[in-house]
Amino acid sequence: MQRYQVILQRLLHLLPVLLGISIVSFLLVQLIPGDPVRLMLGARAPDEVVAAVRARYGLDQPILQQYLTYLENLFQGDLGQSIVYRKPVGELIMERLPRTLFLAIYVVCITIPSTIFLAITAARHQGRKIDHIITTSAVFGITIPVFWLGIMMARLFGVEFGWFPVSGYGNNFFGHLHHLFLPALSTAIWMVPVLVRNLRSAILEQMEADYVVAGRSKGLPEQYLFYYHILKNSIMPTLNLFGVMVAVLFGGTVIVEKVYAVPGLGDLMISSIFGRDYFVVQAITLFYAVVTITVTLAVDIISTIIDPRVKL
Amino acid sequence: MRLKHCAKTAAIVFSIFFFISTGYAIADDIIRIASPYKVQRLDPVRSAAAGTIELYGLLYSRVLRLDDAGELAPGLASSWEVSDGGKTITLKLRSAKFSDGSPITADDVVFSLLRIRDHKESAYPAPMQQLDTATAQGADTVVLKLKSAFTPFIGNLEIWNMGIVSKQDVESRGEEKAFAKNPLASGPYKVKNWLPGDRMILEPNPYYWRKGYPKNSGAELLYVADENTRVSMLLAGEVDAVRSVPWSQVGSLKKRSDISIPLEPSTVIHMSLLNHKGDVFSDVRVRQAAAYGLDKGAIVKAVTFGYAKVANTTIPGALTFHHKEFPGLRYNPEKAKKLVKEANALGKEVVIVVVPTNSTAVQIAVIMQAQWTAIGLKVKIENVDTGTWWKRIPGGDYDATPTWWFNETLDPDLALRWAICGACGSKAFYTFYDNPKITELTEAGAREFDVDKRRAIYHQIQEISTNEVSQIPLYYPPLANAYGPRISGLMLSPALQWTLEETTVIK
Amino acid sequence: MSLRNLPTTLFVGAGIFILWLVTAFCGPLLMGTDPNALNFEALLQRPNINHLFGTDHLGRDILTRVVYAGRIDIWMGFAGVLPALIIGTLFGLMAGYFGGVVEAVLMRVTDVTQAFPFFVLVLAIVAVLGPGLTNFFIAIAAVGWVSYARLIRAEVLVVKNAEYVLAAKILGYHPLFIAFRHVLPNVLAPIIVYAMTDAVLVILFGAGLGFLGLGVQPPTAEWGVMIANGQPYVTGAWWICLFPGLATVTLGLGFSLIGDGLAKHLRIKN
Repeated sequence: MQRYQVILQRLLHLLPVLLGISIVSFLLVQLIPGDPVRLMLGARAPDEVVAAVRARYGLDQPILQQYLTYLENLFQGDLGQSIVYRKPVGELIMERLPRTLFLAIYVVCITIPSTIFLAITAARHQGRKIDHIITTSAVFGITIPVFWLGIMMARLFGVEFGWFPVSGYGNNFFGHLHHLFLPALSTAIWMVPVLVRNLRSAILEQMEADYVVAGRSKGLPEQYLFYYHILKNSIMPTLNLFGVMVAVLFGGTVIVEKVYAVPGLGDLMISSIFGRDYFVVQAITLFYAVVTITVTLAVDIISTIIDPRVKL
Repeated sequence: MRLKHCAKTAAIVFSIFFFISTGYAIADDIIRIASPYKVQRLDPVRSAAAGTIELYGLLYSRVLRLDDAGELAPGLASSWEVSDGGKTITLKLRSAKFSDGSPITADDVVFSLLRIRDHKESAYPAPMQQLDTATAQGADTVVLKLKSAFTPFIGNLEIWNMGIVSKQDVESRGEEKAFAKNPLASGPYKVKNWLPGDRMILEPNPYYWRKGYPKNSGAELLYVADENTRVSMLLAGEVDAVRSVPWSQVGSLKKRSDISIPLEPSTVIHMSLLNHKGDVFSDVRVRQAAAYGLDKGAIVKAVTFGYAKVANTTIPGALTFHHKEFPGLRYNPEKAKKLVKEANALGKEVVIVVVPTNSTAVQIAVIMQAQWTAIGLKVKIENVDTGTWWKRIPGGDYDATPTWWFNETLDPDLALRWAICGACGSKAFYTFYDNPKITELTEAGAREFDVDKRRAIYHQIQEISTNEVSQIPLYYPPLANAYGPRISGLMLSPALQWTLEETTVIK
Repeated sequence: MSLRNLPTTLFVGAGIFILWLVTAFCGPLLMGTDPNALNFEALLQRPNINHLFGTDHLGRDILTRVVYAGRIDIWMGFAGVLPALIIGTLFGLMAGYFGGVVEAVLMRVTDVTQAFPFFVLVLAIVAVLGPGLTNFFIAIAAVGWVSYARLIRAEVLVVKNAEYVLAAKILGYHPLFIAFRHVLPNVLAPIIVYAMTDAVLVILFGAGLGFLGLGVQPPTAEWGVMIANGQPYVTGAWWICLFPGLATVTLGLGFSLIGDGLAKHLRIKN
């Protein structure tokens, strides 16, 4: 019962956070030199035309005025229009959200089992060959630039073998699975090592904890000890890190989206920042904030379920 | 046991993949083009950005068009007549229709042309500046009166923002709505679906005036920012054509029998802007030193793998009246050093502003830095993003920046007004170079009908501006587009217009 | 404490790191060639006897550049991680140990920071402070501390109910003393492991942010930027990316072995 109250409270905290984020990001984006109009009109537009268009979109107003107008529209459920494309921001986001969502879930599905499997294997064979292989390849996984991996996998599995498409998103569920396989794999290859290293270290630490030694001396079976005590206790810090990374995934994995030409939210975000498409940046910032906070909350709730000592 | 189960699942999943993998090959005779430039607007007067320029010709027909030989040919106007000493142009329209079946009338032409000149958000009004009045006489005759005789005007009627739109539609739906998603098209295609920042899907316009065109059942223009990805997509057969292949891969792609890289001629010039208002380059001797100090041949070799030509004047090499014999300021580091000393500029700081996502520009900037350091300047490179670049360059907050531009016609008039003439609006591409003599000659050239006299004028402009180093011309590249084996007849013209309507799929 | 008790991984890791340190700081003195010298006669040469690692798209010797870049990258690894680690650890420890209002406030601050799209922040920092390496470190610290704070907090939540902490409380020690003396040492291990990974990520990240005007400005040699510059040539001239890539991997391996070793050592000590 109390848990639900806390969850509700946390969700209420969301409001001031969102307001804060919207103010700060509005100010910050306006602080960056350059404006969307010049980029959209092209090089040869005369300066007077640039000024006229700026005026029409209200970009010549004081920042506070602009922000209040924005807020007013927001409360009426209007996220604003993309200055560059003249399309409602909500529409732009909804076009891309399914792809990012699918990719993120895909990555998570690959990441969780392989992380747990590799970390356990490494930890249980600590100091032996298999441990060294896993930890060393983890370093490779982290350091290999994603773009390099992306290009190479596209050329090998896409062009040479023809197994997977090198671009796009597909038309149905299996199409998505097929098209997004290489992007998901490229992302996982970077994500898994970070988590494996973290989890392995936590497991090793728990394996030498007092309660484990005590349990072992009382003759508890090693398997039981490992899965019901050690793993449970060591998963917590990794879970937090995982939360951070999932939030990042939802924000979009820009390089992967670019290399495999799957325009998702990350791509929209970056191109809007570079294009100074203020309202799009603003909307994605808020969306990203909601996702991050929800994921964090979810992680905290799962933590209390795994380990009741942890309070929300 | 568990392992066996896993293997089985994997086998099933993979067989599904293979089963559906046939689905991603290109559907029937849709032509797919991957480009690093995205469509931003559908209104032909309201954007001059790359990517959008390429689209306008596909959606909107113009009164005149260029034929395969690059000569002016009838478009929506079946004939045209110049009279009154070059001051009056009479266009006779053919009977043609918009994509909803409504007729294209003289009113629409007048409306469209005046929008280019008068719309307060018109991105490129320059080509219509000489137009005084445009009047419709009946449904099929348009009379254009110019402020004064202006030789390049007739050619300007063909460029990318001259597309004819429906007056009735724009007025009834309102400008915003009319061009938001599905504008009425007068060209070979109309919009089927537009996913901004992703792709533009086009379908044939059934009412297109050229009977039998387009010779395919549609096209997709994909925005693919990464150059390696574009090449991968072409090699995997996911697209038919790719815009801007990296120079480093042109050689290996040319060797393949299934890919063609015709290296189409372009009106592109790569150069470095110099800020004439700045501390260092306000002195003509330092500008000359900077030009003499750059080894353009080495830049062509390192940056374009020798596929471009060294630029010898300040205007693109493909333009009519380009001064081919002029030697330009050739690499001469000794002379450059002497000039720097004479101008008392030894050790003066030069800031090169560069957009790092543009790998060509970065490479040129590094070469500029090395070679200018060698002649005694102190050179610093600053990375900025495109938005900031567009703030700093027009604001005069830079010393030099490598960049490029292209001209939409082969006539040099618009090029000069954009890049060299200081009093023509854009402050000579924000170099703030302003020589009244150049302004005078530019106007004289535009009013001259005699070809030889025009040539002499334009040669003189190139000599003066190159010697005074209004910009540092670097090289003239061809277009590095690559085409796959499935299609025939696709090309990009020097004015950056696709011959998509002529393109067929090889069965 | 004798050296013999230290884990071997620590030695191997430290060995690799010291090797890089020596190469990066003494190498340039011995080589004498300019890492930024262009050579248009030797563009994109494969590894050969004159250029052991080949040359890049401007004819620069890649071996020389990899060695010179070492200094900057080792420095980036440190300066990019330490501020974030210290700030994050302090915040996480406070939040986890004291709970209540402190925790609520601190956690909301991490929420906001984390919920903030990184690129917006980074671009704004460039806009305000101007481009350069120092601002890169500021940007990294401004965002990076969140991961550390969350990690530490999660650990502290578990440890703070341990017997030795309760014992210290009963003995009447000052809460701050307990937090730093008893709790902190017991939660540091995962942080150190993560920091070592993070150091590598920071180096790679530096290249990614180069195009925003952050990080090193050209033509300074830096591994991440060298890799990024090799991107257009990756299918033909593989050596441009490969060697700085290998340099990053070996330094990364060194960092992570040190991390593993330290973690193990801390566990044994406890």
